[in-house]
Amino acid sequence: MNGFRLSALPLSAKVFCTLFLVGIGCGALAAFVQASTAVGLSPAAVEASLAREMPMTQMQMHHGQMSGEKEITLGDISSAAKVWIRTPLLIQTSHTHLFGQTLIAGLLGLIFLFASVRESVKTLIVALPFAGTLLDIGGMWLTRFVSPSLSLLVIAGGSLFALGYALIAVIALYDLWLRKERLA
Amino acid sequence: MKALCPVIAAALVGLCVVAPAWAHITPPVVLVSDRDAVVSLLAGARRFFVREVRLTAAEKQTIRQATAWNPEDDFYRFYIGRDDQGRVVAATVFLTEFTIHGPVRVAAALGPDGKVKGATVVELTEETYPWIKPLLDRNFTRDYVGRDARGTFAVSAGGGDSMAQFYGEVVASLIRRAAALYEIAVIKRGDAA
Repeated sequence: MNGFRLSALPLSAKVFCTLFLVGIGCGALAAFVQASTAVGLSPAAVEASLAREMPMTQMQMHHGQMSGEKEITLGDISSAAKVWIRTPLLIQTSHTHLFGQTLIAGLLGLIFLFASVRESVKTLIVALPFAGTLLDIGGMWLTRFVSPSLSLLVIAGGSLFALGYALIAVIALYDLWLRKERLA
Repeated sequence: MKALCPVIAAALVGLCVVAPAWAHITPPVVLVSDRDAVVSLLAGARRFFVREVRLTAAEKQTIRQATAWNPEDDFYRFYIGRDDQGRVVAATVFLTEFTIHGPVRVAAALGPDGKVKGATVVELTEETYPWIKPLLDRNFTRDYVGRDARGTFAVSAGGGDSMAQFYGEVVASLIRRAAALYEIAVIKRGDAA
């Protein structure tokens, strides 16, 4: 871009970019483990954490009803120590993750803008982490307020962000350390 | 290299902004599953029921006046334990307060007379856990056993630890809300038996 290429950067800039990419990779890995332990990685697990709580009694069928009672077994109560994300927590999670992930996507994109790939490919890859973030957080809200089945979007969004990061990191690291500069 | 300076500066500014954005809320710490909380708080029960209640506007107003808490959920769920004869042993309800450091979730058990039979902290966050741990180690929720919604739910964290005091009060307030909720939405409706 404008004559700048990752492969032509001075050593200090290459080290800076490399350590940034490695650091974000480690952070993404930690976030993946955190998501898998606190919530789960299947659409069903995401749905269980995000979807609105539905009544277990006949109140579900009769919306005007003020109370309902039903016998249950202990098996009907969740035995998993899972986090149930209620609306205030969803608001908090959304604002921190939208700021945080968008800034990370921006910084990743900033490095990738100087990669030596075709403009169309660059445009597509640079958009992936942004699109993934919006799909991820948007999916959380849609799961909660539109349909629990949309929990699939949360998984898809997280995967898209990860794919974007992986492509940017691999191509950028290749450019930084392995690509040979062509002499004009 | 000179022309790259603004780009690097922008990157550094971005990094500085990311850190505080992520520092807002630490990850959740779930101390006990819902099932384990219900089993321990309804000890002695042979059969289990869920009772779900929607509050009327008047009931919400009564609770607001009694506890300064605004009950906004669509419905509240009590897990009720009964003995072999069908008598209520206790009812457990889960309530959450959303603090600036994240959610604090408590399970509180109420007897058929509306008095607290026990309570346990179910979920908090990595940041709040060390603050409240000294109180948990002391099993401070035991202090509220036998109190009803009109009782005092004071906390003595000791040692002048203001965060422990604050979060102890959050937990105590949740237990009081549970007592008020049970009294208004179950006992006063004549559904406690």
